Order: sequence, then C-alpha cells, then structure tokens
Amino acid sequence: MSKKNKDAHASHGAHDAHRPNVKLFVAVFGALMVLTGVTVLVSKFHLPRPQAITLGLIIALVKAGLVAAIFMHLWGENKLIHRMLCVVGFFAAMIIIPIIDFTLLSSRMIDHAPVAAQHPDEGAGREESVTATATLAPPTPAAAPKAAAPKGKK
Amino acid sequence: MNAITMDNADTHSGVSNAKLGVWLFLASEVMLFATLFTSYVVLRMGSATWPWGWDALNVPLGTLNTAILITSSVTIVMAYAKAYDKDKSGFQRWMAATLALSLVFLVVKGFEYAHEFRLGIGPSTSVFYAVYFTMTGLHGIHILGGILVNSGLLYMSTVDEHWNNPLFLGRVEGAGLYWHFVDIVWIFLFPALYLL
Repeated sequence: MSKKNKDAHASHGAHDAHRPNVKLFVAVFGALMVLTGVTVLVSKFHLPRPQAITLGLIIALVKAGLVAAIFMHLWGENKLIHRMLCVVGFFAAMIIIPIIDFTLLSSRMIDHAPVAAQHPDEGAGREESVTATATLAPPTPAAAPKAAAPKGKK
Repeated sequence: MNAITMDNADTHSGVSNAKLGVWLFLASEVMLFATLFTSYVVLRMGSATWPWGWDALNVPLGTLNTAILITSSVTIVMAYAKAYDKDKSGFQRWMAATLALSLVFLVVKGFEYAHEFRLGIGPSTSVFYAVYFTMTGLHGIHILGGILVNSGLLYMSTVDEHWNNPLFLGRVEGAGLYWHFVDIVWIFLFPALYLL
C-alpha cells in the first residue's frame, strides 16, 4: 500500500469501508456457519415443499447478502458499482420472471388439458395431447376417470 | 509503475479500472448463472417427479463442502487484510490456506462424483441429475479458475517486484471478489440441489 493510497483511505475517516475489519469477518463467518447448520437441520424435517423452498431461499439470500455486503465490501461501495448491479439485477429479472411465468402458465394449461377429454366427439387428437402432457405433470385426480371414460364406451 | 497509477482519482468513476473490470465480469457471470437457475426452475416445475436431495445426493458431504467454501471465503479476505497491511508472510499463509481449502473442496466433490458414477448415475440418468451435473460441474470449473488465479497471486507475492507493485492489492481484491462470487453461487446451489 502506497503512502498516498493510505492517505486516501484515511481521508474517509473511521467509516472507511475498505479498511479490513477482521472482527467483523470472523462474526460473519460464524453467522454463515450457523445459517448453514440451520438450513440443513430444517431440511431434515421434510416441511411441505412451498414452505421448505421459501425458508431455504430466505436463508440463502441472507447468507449471500452477508458475503456480498461484508466480504465483497458492497456495504459502502462506490455508487457506480451499486448502479451497475441494479442494471444486472434488472436484466436477470427480465430473464427469470417471464420464463417462470411461462412455466406457471404451462402448468395451468396442463391442469386444464384433461377437460378436453370430457368431449369425446372432438377426436383422439385431444387424448393424445393429454397423454403427451401427462408425462410432464400428473393429471388431477378428478380428471383421470373422465379421461378414461370414452375408452370404456367403445 | 508508480503509486499515482492506481489512485482512484485518476479514473473518471471513482472506482479503480481493475475493480470495475472485475465487477463487469461478475455481472456477466450473474447472467450466466441466472439462466442456469432459470433452467433449473423451469425443468423442476415441468417434471412429474423431483427427488429430495437427501434421497438422491450425499448431503453430509455437500454440507462439508459448504463449510469448506465459506471458510475459504474468510481465509481469502484475511489474505486481503494482510496484503493491505503489507504483511507478506501473513498474506502467503492465508492465501495458501485458501488454496488448500479449494483443493479439498474439489477432492470432496470428486468423491461425490466417483460414488455416483460407480452407481451408474450420470447426467443422462434423469432431469435432476442432468441439472445437478451441469450446475455443479460449471461451478467446479469456476473453482479451478479461482485456484489458478490465487496460485498466481501466491507466486507473485514471492517476487519483490510484484509484491511491491502498488497494483498488487487491487489484484488480490479482484481475486477475492471473484472467489466470494463463487461462494455465493454455491450458497444457492447447495439448498437448491441437496436440501429442497
């Protein structure tokens, strides 16, 4: 570290975010280990999946936030880096959100697909589409017997 | 090369060019892994069945690797703290510890892969394993990249010309940023594949 650069750091005063704070690093290390233990223990309880996924995601976000804020010095980092990360977050969301929405939409279409089998006059093509989509998601319990009904009549 | 070269006042942004460059690189990495995690979500939601990680993978080994990677994040930040204080032997100790932990991570991952291959499990076994091998494999490649960079820095610290170069601290900081990013990716990968 050159004297000039040290002076630059010193000019920021006691709140210089780039000055390594070893005690803080050790505290964050402890928190990360505890959170890892918690997420593993919680997963052993076999919570219902929506709750398990939500809890796992929240713990992962807290851990990632700690690493980014403290170890990567994002806490108190130059605003240019913050702005750049906002742009990255926007574009990442542009990738993730529409595709997840599309997947949810597809799931709804698959759920509704067996309804078509209630109309046997509409031909076998519909049944084929139901069979094809059944490999992607299990049919709803109510729809399964209805789907089998036309075959029974023949 | 003199000290003025690395002064942030010489850049128009207030951020050193090296740090800005590393962050731009990490931004591209965020997009890469965002697409992979999106694929994971889409494939998982489109699958009729998706195994619990506890049934399909070795969770204790995955937990061990998580602890190893978190510890290596601390050791590399300690190496940065020592480089900041111009403590050469301290820097070398912590950087060597980071490298050792990185290698242990790869060895543990290798044991996991070897066990799965012995059971006849591969990327073509199921959608779950295809996602598992793709994402952990790409993460493993990133670990290898980090090992190369950190080894280079450890070597450079033994050469006075590099150690005394005012740019050296920025290089350590850049390598640290990358290593923490690799840690963050694993922080999301571990629950996504092993626990949920």
